[in-house]
Amino acid sequence: MDKGPKLKRSLDVSWRTIEGQAVLIFNREGEVQVLNELGTFVWEHAEEALEDIAGNIAETYEVTFDEALADTRRFIEELAASGALVECKD
Amino acid sequence: MDSPLAELLGKAIHSAHPIFASIELTYACNLACRFCYNPVQRKNQQRKEPPPAPGSPPLTFDEIVDVLDQLKAMGVLYLTLTGGEAIVHPRFWDIAGAAKERSFAIRVFTNGASITESTADRLAELAPYCIEISLHGADSSTAEALTQSKGSFERQMKALILLKERGLRVYLKCVVTRLVEDQLEQIKAIGDRFDFPVFFDPVLTISDDGEVYPLELMASDEAIRLLYSTSGLNIGNSPFEREPGEFNCTVGTGTIHITPRGDVQPCTQWKESIGNVRDHRIADIWQNSPLLEKVREVNRNLPGAITRTVDDHAFCFSCPGLSQLRSGDPMRPDGQYLRIARIRRRVAEEERTAQGKIPVNSVTGFADS
Repeated sequence: MDKGPKLKRSLDVSWRTIEGQAVLIFNREGEVQVLNELGTFVWEHAEEALEDIAGNIAETYEVTFDEALADTRRFIEELAASGALVECKD
Repeated sequence: MDSPLAELLGKAIHSAHPIFASIELTYACNLACRFCYNPVQRKNQQRKEPPPAPGSPPLTFDEIVDVLDQLKAMGVLYLTLTGGEAIVHPRFWDIAGAAKERSFAIRVFTNGASITESTADRLAELAPYCIEISLHGADSSTAEALTQSKGSFERQMKALILLKERGLRVYLKCVVTRLVEDQLEQIKAIGDRFDFPVFFDPVLTISDDGEVYPLELMASDEAIRLLYSTSGLNIGNSPFEREPGEFNCTVGTGTIHITPRGDVQPCTQWKESIGNVRDHRIADIWQNSPLLEKVREVNRNLPGAITRTVDDHAFCFSCPGLSQLRSGDPMRPDGQYLRIARIRRRVAEEERTAQGKIPVNSVTGFADS
């Protein structure tokens, strides 16, 4: 399976989980994104292996691993496209 | 309807989850503003007593980083770095970098007068949430009458150009004093030229140690009238933005403040120490301080108290920290707020009368139906 580049949260995005929801502030763009519960889970574990995140989601939300993996991959790609996640060059 | 973020912040504040923190990094400053409220002697301030001697040394870099770790663990999102002049702190860039690594949304309060090309480059690299710059005039002689620092206005204007060129988000602020009251629209025009919002504040803050010399610079009634009758001048603290039953502000419920020597205060305005970071974890202070619990009670009850006790209450905001400092009674609006409320009501009444409408109701602030 193609694991893709290792990603990390961008330092240009400030964030905290408040009342169970991650608030992302894109400082350069001046934009704010509030994630739902599932999105918050993915964001908080976004620097971990995709399969591990999907496995946790499948277990917690009673969906198949394949469904969880596809959804997680799609959301991670969205986060990367927005600049919230960037390629880890370390 | 509130945005998802505003709703979330509202929920957090109601459950006393601190979202906002400010750290005064230093009282040192490259300007000498006459109304400066820091507990240090600046030029031409007529104090009755000298400022209190510092009881302990300023926080070290390592101590400040520990404070950042604690604030992050508490869930604080917005972090204000202020002073004095924050940027002149010898470790400012290290501190700001450490805050960025901890994912805070950083607000830098600065007078801008020390911002050079290289400073602006470093700020662009830092990418703070915003930079807030106080302007004290629309020309050099007016600004320097307050800042008592030759060339400060030109340096500030240069800073605005440098920050604009780098696409940084800048908010301009102006405390309305009698020195600047004839230039409010010109200051707004400076903001418009750069496309930076300008916020005016007609309330002067007395010094941290209770000296009232800043009040000598209080603006005239006419200037306050202009402020509230001129569309396009942004004034903070509108009581119309508060719904019945809401907290007065975020003191005790969403905000916390740290001084250069590590004293923890309810906010920048409520000057009583509720502990020191050298003695206690900030989370312990937040959860267990009896004074902070009293502050929360004041915050919950203040809107109701204003409604019961102030004639022009629909137009009256009140900062309980300022009241506490000035009179020792946080529930009693400071005279500055009462004066502003009276003027605001008159402005509102005159505007409605001029439009042929019935006068405003002092309770709701809107016309009787």
